[in-house]
Amino acid sequence: MQGITTTFLLAILVTLHVFFLGKAGTERKTLPSDAGGGFVIPSPVLKITSLEFKGVVSDLLFIKVMVFKGSTYERKEQPLMKPEEWQWFDKTLNASTDLDPYFVDPYVFANANMTWEGGMIRETNALLEKGTQYRDWDWMLPFFVGFNSFFFLHDNAKAAEYLMTASRRPGPSEQLVSLAARLEYKDKKTENAILFLEAIEKKTEDERLKKEYETRISALQARLLLERSVSAYKEKFKRSPVSLQQMIEKGIMKEIPMDPYGGKFSIGPDGEITCTSDYMLMPGQR
Amino acid sequence: MSALLPIALITFKEGTRNRSFYGISLLALLLMGASFFISGMVIRDVGKVAVDMALSTVSFAGLLLVLFVGIDLMAKDLDKRTIYMVLARPISRQQYIVGKFLGISLLVVGTVFLLSIFGAISISAIKWANPDYFPRFSWGLVFLAEAFIAVSLILLSAMSFLFASVSSTSFLTLILTIMSYIIGHSLSSVKALVEAPQAAGITVSPLTVKLVQAAYFLFPNLSLFDIKMQAAHGLSLPMTYIIWTLCYGIVYICLVILFAALLFRKKEFP
Repeated sequence: MQGITTTFLLAILVTLHVFFLGKAGTERKTLPSDAGGGFVIPSPVLKITSLEFKGVVSDLLFIKVMVFKGSTYERKEQPLMKPEEWQWFDKTLNASTDLDPYFVDPYVFANANMTWEGGMIRETNALLEKGTQYRDWDWMLPFFVGFNSFFFLHDNAKAAEYLMTASRRPGPSEQLVSLAARLEYKDKKTENAILFLEAIEKKTEDERLKKEYETRISALQARLLLERSVSAYKEKFKRSPVSLQQMIEKGIMKEIPMDPYGGKFSIGPDGEITCTSDYMLMPGQR
Repeated sequence: MSALLPIALITFKEGTRNRSFYGISLLALLLMGASFFISGMVIRDVGKVAVDMALSTVSFAGLLLVLFVGIDLMAKDLDKRTIYMVLARPISRQQYIVGKFLGISLLVVGTVFLLSIFGAISISAIKWANPDYFPRFSWGLVFLAEAFIAVSLILLSAMSFLFASVSSTSFLTLILTIMSYIIGHSLSSVKALVEAPQAAGITVSPLTVKLVQAAYFLFPNLSLFDIKMQAAHGLSLPMTYIIWTLCYGIVYICLVILFAALLFRKKEFP
């Protein structure tokens, strides 16, 4: 009799346990989360409180950012992340690299996300410059600074300086030195950007990041094709085309290339190529 | 010397029989297992995360050993009054303290050695699965970091002996040892912060700076023994650093045990 009572009690308690855990877990999800906008403990305090576990705390902070970024892909609204979330993103990666400035992943992850999508070029470069200083054997980080300075900030002098730094370190392709020299030719912006990205893509092992770079390269290749067609048009007719369609009608090109981000290309008044996606994923493209 | 060895060996054996010892080993094994998942979550620095996890586990499990097994071994003799049986023999109080300390040091070295083997297995397995993500990896640095962990844990044990010689309960010894551990690992960062407060945008009074500087010489600087970051990234470590740090550790341990022995001589037993 006692055995039956115990079994009965056990069955009720286990059932209640599962039920209440589910309820509390669901309620918990509705509470405001600190990820993506919460307070980030300042690095000097983190350094003191992490004691001898700075490396592990740095790893966990980075993983927290990665998990948060991954969770934003489920969102329906555009842009995927709010400005304050990008601030949190930057601060947390900074804290992670203050605890362990040799940890390469936060730098790579910041560069892959905070530039094109987040538009935080100066912040990304500040982070990458820290990495360049500590990881003095790594050519990737100064290479990223070079690319960002060239492509986003239009600061060719700084880009060339960092590319030269990268080329002095072991490992990079020979293209790098010639790239540094080519940066003087501002009219080859898209072409140089493709060369830059191809060099990064070749060295990227992570499949997801590799795919992102491939998409970016194909978008820029489409833009390069259009730019070359506009140049050919200008040479032939001594004026800028008013639309892309006009270039097809005049036999300069066969068709308008696709933007892999789901946007539409168009021509500005001075013949400049613009894209509605701004080289970021349009809704429904992922 | 002949009196020290039996006490040391008995303490070591008693330590290995303690049930907490098995609990700590089990926790260490679980944490090593967790390192497989955590290192799999990063993009490139898999090797760094694997080494971080392995070394931190060795350190954390060793810390638990010092705090819960080490202090308990010392307190048990007093609580159960078995110390009278030992001191009834031709063994002085100082010999008892030193012998006991040697036994616990042996236990710490043995445990760190055992955990290091588990750590090496977990790192090897992750390295085998991701051979391209260990570009600057060095076994030498990993083992050196583990040896440094052992020295810092022995130093912490010495501190617990000092506190046990003066405090009346093992709980107080535990609290004081934990405080020494926290101060020992954060003092360098606190000193750097108060000496250059403008970097963090805070103001610090001159008295605080002096107090921190005084504490820097008084408390053990355990952060000197923390070379996990160097081991995780394969960064070079000058031989002079290794030698001076080890010398500092040995001298500090001798000093603390000397004080503990002096204080223990005057201690009143329950």
